[in-house]
Amino acid sequence: MSTAAAGAIDHHNDPTTSTGIPNKKLLMWAFLASDCMFFGCLISTHLIYRLHPPPGTPPARQVFSIELTSFSTFILLMSSLMMALAVNAIQKGNLKSLRWSLLTTIFFGCIFLGCQVYEFRNFVFEKHLTITNSILGTTFFTLTGTHGLHVLIGVIWLSGMLIYSFTGRLGEKDSIDVEMMGLYWHFVDIVWIVIFTAVYLLEYI
Amino acid sequence: MSEPAHAPSTGHELEQSKFGLYVEIAMLLAVITGLELVTVYLPFMRWLLISVLVILSTVKFMFVIFYFMHLRWDKAFCTILFFIGLVLAGGTMWALLKLFGSEASKPLDSARIDPPAAVLRVS
Repeated sequence: MSTAAAGAIDHHNDPTTSTGIPNKKLLMWAFLASDCMFFGCLISTHLIYRLHPPPGTPPARQVFSIELTSFSTFILLMSSLMMALAVNAIQKGNLKSLRWSLLTTIFFGCIFLGCQVYEFRNFVFEKHLTITNSILGTTFFTLTGTHGLHVLIGVIWLSGMLIYSFTGRLGEKDSIDVEMMGLYWHFVDIVWIVIFTAVYLLEYI
Repeated sequence: MSEPAHAPSTGHELEQSKFGLYVEIAMLLAVITGLELVTVYLPFMRWLLISVLVILSTVKFMFVIFYFMHLRWDKAFCTILFFIGLVLAGGTMWALLKLFGSEASKPLDSARIDPPAAVLRVS
């Protein structure tokens, strides 16, 4: 579809619903609000045990690698940029740009997951920190593992959308589907923003 | 905060200018992440460093939700809905950290705990 036609569709309002908001978007915001509480509890649990670490807990500062985590954070932020550009592209009906943006987002998502797998491997085999041998390991692996699972689901969803874009059935009118996926992906990013500060950076002060 | 949607002509101009806006915000987020990293190595008081980190993270968080997640351009109800979850999560975190951060919540040192009577009888 031409760029000139993009202004014809209002992507932020749906006059056919009682709220004026597309139902799919409303559903996604409601889900994200509930997921906030889920991650809030996981982060709280980790921080509570960090307040009073039991005897024998390894010093987190010696276990963590701030360089790797900072790189992961940068990668996830850049993936968010590409996701925002993907939504922008579908709202203009630009399928070619959408595909490149989705592909780059998937690529960045995979790099993030690769870094997490490397980090977990390093913790288990080099630093001897497992999910069962200390409270730090239990809360850390549960929290970051749950986040990693969210990233994995996001990557699968993105890949599915990328494949679907080649069927010829995805157009500007379906931009709400890409936008929903984008909301989910950005949420994964904002959760990491909090985890990066609360779990990693606070250990270095 | 959220604003009502623009008229189509304004909306079209907005779509055109979003590309540059997104790139600028992403660069800003990267710079803030760099600042966070530098902050943890600064020789200042702990409470000051924690405050700075919380503020920087909040700024990043707000930029992502209002620009990348379009809350700035969507109806206010989306913002309200999300902030209900956010406030509940934040409130729960605050309450739990206050409860478990107090002096009375410190776990007893296992070496100083008297063994239960049943254990003494067995030994």
